[in-house]
Amino acid sequence: MSARPDSLVLVALLAPAAVFVLLAVVAPLRRSGRLAALISIAGALTALGAAILAWRNLGEDIDVFRHVWAWLPQHEGVLATVGVLADTYSVKMLVLVSLVATLVQVYSLGYLSDEPPAALGRYYMYQSLFAFSMMGLVLAPNFLQLFICWELVGLCSYLLIGFWYRKASAARAAVKAFWTTKAGDVGLLIGIVLLWRMTGTFDFAELEVWAGSQQAGIAGISLIAFCLYLGAAGKSAQFPLHIWLPDAMEGPTPVSALIHAATMVTAGVYLLTRTAFLFELAPDVMTLVAWVGAGTALMAAILACAQDDIKRVLAYSTVSQLGYMMAAIGAGFANAGFLHLLTHGVFKALLFLGAGAVIHAVHTNDITRMGRLAKSMPQTAVVFIIGTLSLAGVPLFAGFLSKEEILGAVLAGGLTVPFVMLAVAAFLTAFYMFRVVFLTFFGTADAGPKGPAYEEPVHARGHHPHDAPAVMTIPLWILALLSMAIGILFMFHHEEPQFESPVWLTPAAVGVGLAGIGLAWLTFQRRSIDGDRLASAMGPLRTAAHAGFWIDDAFLFVYRSVLLVFSRTIGWIDRYVVDGIVNVMSAWTVMGGGRLRRMQTGRVQDYVFGVAVGVVALLIWLGGVK
Amino acid sequence: MGLHAYLFLAAVVFSIGLFGVITRRNTIGILLGVELMLNAVNINLVAFSRFHGQTAGMILTVFAIAITVAEVALGLALVILLFRTRRTAIADQIDWLKG
Amino acid sequence: MTLEVFAFWAFAVVLVGSALAVVLSKNLFHSVLWLALALTGTAGVFLLLDAEFLAAVQILLYAGGVVTVVVFAIVVTERLVGTRLSQTNRHVVRGAVFAGTVLTLIITWIRRAPHPVRPDLGDADVTRAIGSTLLTQHVLAFELLAVLLLVAMIGASYYARPEE
Repeated sequence: MSARPDSLVLVALLAPAAVFVLLAVVAPLRRSGRLAALISIAGALTALGAAILAWRNLGEDIDVFRHVWAWLPQHEGVLATVGVLADTYSVKMLVLVSLVATLVQVYSLGYLSDEPPAALGRYYMYQSLFAFSMMGLVLAPNFLQLFICWELVGLCSYLLIGFWYRKASAARAAVKAFWTTKAGDVGLLIGIVLLWRMTGTFDFAELEVWAGSQQAGIAGISLIAFCLYLGAAGKSAQFPLHIWLPDAMEGPTPVSALIHAATMVTAGVYLLTRTAFLFELAPDVMTLVAWVGAGTALMAAILACAQDDIKRVLAYSTVSQLGYMMAAIGAGFANAGFLHLLTHGVFKALLFLGAGAVIHAVHTNDITRMGRLAKSMPQTAVVFIIGTLSLAGVPLFAGFLSKEEILGAVLAGGLTVPFVMLAVAAFLTAFYMFRVVFLTFFGTADAGPKGPAYEEPVHARGHHPHDAPAVMTIPLWILALLSMAIGILFMFHHEEPQFESPVWLTPAAVGVGLAGIGLAWLTFQRRSIDGDRLASAMGPLRTAAHAGFWIDDAFLFVYRSVLLVFSRTIGWIDRYVVDGIVNVMSAWTVMGGGRLRRMQTGRVQDYVFGVAVGVVALLIWLGGVK
Repeated sequence: MGLHAYLFLAAVVFSIGLFGVITRRNTIGILLGVELMLNAVNINLVAFSRFHGQTAGMILTVFAIAITVAEVALGLALVILLFRTRRTAIADQIDWLKG
Repeated sequence: MTLEVFAFWAFAVVLVGSALAVVLSKNLFHSVLWLALALTGTAGVFLLLDAEFLAAVQILLYAGGVVTVVVFAIVVTERLVGTRLSQTNRHVVRGAVFAGTVLTLIITWIRRAPHPVRPDLGDADVTRAIGSTLLTQHVLAFELLAVLLLVAMIGASYYARPEE
């Protein structure tokens, strides 16, 4: 088909929207459970098909297609439009979103098979809403639509993290996610408004034209860039707004795969990629982005080493990889970050879904209680290892090239300390991921440092764990094959990056990855190095890692000492000053009324007297006038 | 006697009547004060009418007297009714419209 | 001094004196009787002003009718109460001061007015003039007055109807 890409992406956008509206309005359909699921999956598949077609039809010379409708009128012209923008970034992102969304929805049929039908229907309704919102964000042609979809995405994240709302920890995690990203969103909104005040438009195309005519470092642009970055930092879990992502693992694992691996968290990265032309005008903000990104990557990698919950390891890993992407953008090479976004989306979703299969089988998240699952769950083991190799940046797998390109970009941008941080983080990434692999799927008969390894894997209800049903394994295999295919494809056919990398970069990148794998093998498989002694050798770092670098505690402290105190003061003012004024007014009125009513004696003579007094006054006045 | 003499006379009677209305305790006593005031008004009317050579004032006086008679009748009927229900004609005690 | 001046002062003294007695008397019945005298004094003043018709009306209606009605009312209420009705005044000072103020004001006002001369009536028949004007120019008001008296009568008899 040679349909225009913008029409195709419109179809992709509206299919899940229609499903959402259908499920929201027709309650019996939603409560039917599996039927709602199938409808939702159909919508997602439609979106995927349209997205792939749109990518194919994206031409070589004209690669930007827009279709907008006027929305908010203003005095002359239009204040804001709504519509779709199909260019190389948005279409590729659309393919990623729709692909992962479809696979996750199929996978959820198996993962959530124990849920009551009404809850399942609700889940798929949220999934469709999320798909629509994320695609709306990606396809937004202007800041206003982007922001609206941004908020919608945050809402869906809240709804899906807190899907098991009766669980107190899940509800708290959902609120925490919402609150933390909201803090960043305030910055985004301020940035958007300030930008509009400076330029008079929300539209990306017009802003790009405007930015092209500006010099770097004009007054106010740094503030705007920083505010926009705040929004991205919230959604993409940059330090210190990363605290919500590990807690968000309370949601079902497919949700984590979709939202907290491939799509929502990447919205921040996408935003910076989209508006890179603005950030180029503020080089100091770019440097900040790079430093914070690299720092986040390193910090999260350290924290991941100290986690025992398989999902939390993956969560911190996501934070770390997002830091990578941000570092590349901050170095000035947004394409490298975007490329890593795409590859990371694929293999992180794969890892999450694989972890979900494991959790579904053994009914625990704790890797120290697992072991030797490779024997009973071979398929899961294979796909999980494929994902881990991608994440560790081993050649022939998806993550290798994008990670190396990021390292090269950061180096080419002249940021050596961030480069070192990223390199250390790469080493740690390989280390902690293979720790998970060895502890979960393999394991020796000896008692390990973290407690006795089980001879037989943990099982519940008296049956052994086994590979997940087909509805869950097929998405896994699709993602795994895609990871390998991308990896191999990139080996032979990839765009040349815009910078020159030193010759030693590729071997160095591979080397740190292999070193990390090696250390993990020695510690957790061979048990030649005592894991516990290794950890204690880290000293205070270990304590800090276990406490999450006390960032959560810092937030709590600020909340208690600043926010609560402030709100108590305001409450006092409201009760005693504002209400007090009103109460005093009413008290005076009542008192005055009480005094005045003594005039009404009920006796006619007094009234006559009153009338007479009035007449006399009148006479005096008139008499004076005369 | 000049006009002013009659007017002064009427003024004096009027204020005496006003004094009676304000100070008397008995309802009927108040009515009597009102009668005096009305009388003073009538004297005024007739005096002006005479001194301007017109009959308009006198005609008005006729009406005033007639209406006063009607008002007295009604007023006393009300007093009797009041008396029957509340057993008092003391104006001080008639304060059920008290606010 | 002329007869007219003497008559005026005589009637004036009677009028003012009985008026004072009306408002200061302790016995209600006596007040009514003094009122009758005051009304008669007013009739005399009317005579001095060449309003014979009005003087007659005054005596007939006021001194005859109103006083009678008031006396009846007093008798009825005294019978209901069972005791002699006596009354005292309250807030005398307040009332006196106030009445005095009003009097002063009115007198001040009057003194500013011009002094017209009493026109000479000659042989004009005031009563005839009143009568013809009343029944031609003001006949509507006259009829309405009749209606008003009817209404008052009905109202009064309703209010004062015997208890059931």
